[in-house]
Amino acid sequence: MIEDRAAVGPEPSDPEPEQQEAQRPPGPARYRWYVLAAVVVALFALPLFRPMISSYNYVLTLGALILMWVAMSSSWNILGGFAGYISLGHSVFMGVGGYVAGVLLYYHGISPFLTAPLGGLAAVALGFLAGFITLRTRGPAFIISTIALLFMFLLMTDNFEYLGGAAGLPLPALPLSQEWLRVPFYYAMLLIALGAIWTAYRVAHSKFGMGLRAIAEDEVKAEVAGVPTRLYKISAFAISAFWVGVAGAIYGYSIAFVRPTVFFTIAISAQMVLMAIIGGKGTVAGPVVGAVLIYAINELSLVAFGATEFNIVIQGTMLVAVLLFFPLGIVGTLRKMNRLPAFLNWD
Amino acid sequence: MTNVIQVAILGLLLGGVYALMAAGLTLAFGVMRIVNLAHAAFIIASAYISFFAFEKLGIDPLLSVVFVMPIMFLFGVAVYQVLFRRIEGSKRFGEMTVLLTFGIAIMVEGLLGFAFTGIYRKAAPGYANESFIVDGLFLPQGDILFIPKGQFYASLLSIVLLVALWAFLRYSQTGYAIRATTQNRAAAEIVGVNVRRVSAISFGLSTALAGASGALMSYLFPFFPFRHWQWVAVLLALVVLGGMGSMKGAVIGALVLGVASSFVVDQIGPTWGPMTFYLALFLILLIRPQGLFGKEAPA
Repeated sequence: MIEDRAAVGPEPSDPEPEQQEAQRPPGPARYRWYVLAAVVVALFALPLFRPMISSYNYVLTLGALILMWVAMSSSWNILGGFAGYISLGHSVFMGVGGYVAGVLLYYHGISPFLTAPLGGLAAVALGFLAGFITLRTRGPAFIISTIALLFMFLLMTDNFEYLGGAAGLPLPALPLSQEWLRVPFYYAMLLIALGAIWTAYRVAHSKFGMGLRAIAEDEVKAEVAGVPTRLYKISAFAISAFWVGVAGAIYGYSIAFVRPTVFFTIAISAQMVLMAIIGGKGTVAGPVVGAVLIYAINELSLVAFGATEFNIVIQGTMLVAVLLFFPLGIVGTLRKMNRLPAFLNWD
Repeated sequence: MTNVIQVAILGLLLGGVYALMAAGLTLAFGVMRIVNLAHAAFIIASAYISFFAFEKLGIDPLLSVVFVMPIMFLFGVAVYQVLFRRIEGSKRFGEMTVLLTFGIAIMVEGLLGFAFTGIYRKAAPGYANESFIVDGLFLPQGDILFIPKGQFYASLLSIVLLVALWAFLRYSQTGYAIRATTQNRAAAEIVGVNVRRVSAISFGLSTALAGASGALMSYLFPFFPFRHWQWVAVLLALVVLGGMGSMKGAVIGALVLGVASSFVVDQIGPTWGPMTFYLALFLILLIRPQGLFGKEAPA
């Protein structure tokens, strides 16, 4: 109990990283920010190297998708990793973002690049509302209610004429030549991914984030220690919806249509969960590592076996294997072994 | 009036089948606290067995229960021994089971899709499209009721199996041990119940019930691998509604919602049928988070 009180005490500023750095050899730790800055600069510069990239559009599309998954699994992690409330319906927020931006473009001609934040806010609003109801339960019953939420939205979008029904809404393409078409989407997703990681980082290093961890550890104790658990949980749900909604808005535009089965499918939620868990749920770097890794494996198996159901088998098998043998995920396991490279230690 | 009775009958018949499907799910949760997201995937896998037994060997789907259930029982015991034994006693066991069975569901879905492709299947035994016609009785002159034979036989089989399950849990030695484990796992272990054996048997029973449900599904509802998500959403809504782990709750929930959804289908349209289950789930979470017959908030 005393430990818990300390964990949520009035000093939320991050003493943890310094402590860990102190135990580490000082060299690599000092260079950590240089490494990360170099990666970010390289990501921003990538589209400039047009002549040197043979299949330019493919590379940028792939990059944008990886960045989108980074953003989505990082966001999922705020609720599922930090607070320990696993949502299997998070793709609902992607769909809400996609549909808000899609409707504004289809009926009013406003570009999703402008309305994407609105999509995010709509997702946040839904997060508050859904959290208010579903977070009355915990554990399995909560997980189940998130699945029900997802299927409710699938049914509704399938049947609303205004939203185009099951066929969805076709969206006009961006008025750009084919060669440059992927560039804005790439940069948008890059900004979204950085925003999502920044959000996760800020949450992890705040009193709020500590409260969430206390909730994940033992909710009753957290409550006793003075954490406003209900408020924190609902806020975590809402915050974790934002970047997923923004990403959905841009994604819908990039594929030029919104359709219920593109967004409101449990397969997308499954990916977010898989990425966060394989990378290491509850860590800031975990979902990023997981997203890159899973996406790479997906892409490789697509190249090797073609678009078959085999990819799905691989994903399921990976999830089962990681849960049984490395429940902490890559980042969590490496940290436990004290082998985590300093540039991946963001907690 | 006749129409109302007709819709209620169809709803009850549907609810009877749902009850069988949900019973397996709630058994696994009650005894082992396993939330089996793969339950519907197991049902669909069993439906494929029955479907091909009918198509290739001409075995009636209702009869195929005789071998589908034992196969699925052994499968369930194996899954329990290989996978769940490893995470026994782990922290946050409930969540672990959800994620683990989520992975299993994805695997089963992928394997089924790989083996049988994603096309719709439905076995068509002779009775699937026939109905009993009821007239006279108390009905107004000239009105008749239809009772689809397929649904009727399915509900009968479902009732038989549920009663057998109830009798087994009530009167057999193993059933006694299962109920003891459900009530208090630690105490059961102290008084000499082999909790692991009981758990393995219960999980086997749960998947065997999935097997029977699959045999019924093979001719009642068109199925394909990806369908299991829709089913598991509906079944889980039923189980939460009834109170997780409560067999009585699952059966009553299934019957009530079966009738309710059949009225929704009749009045609003067939696509909105499943909405009944999801709305009921959210409503019950608002009013009584532990479900109708749940004793405590499920942790």
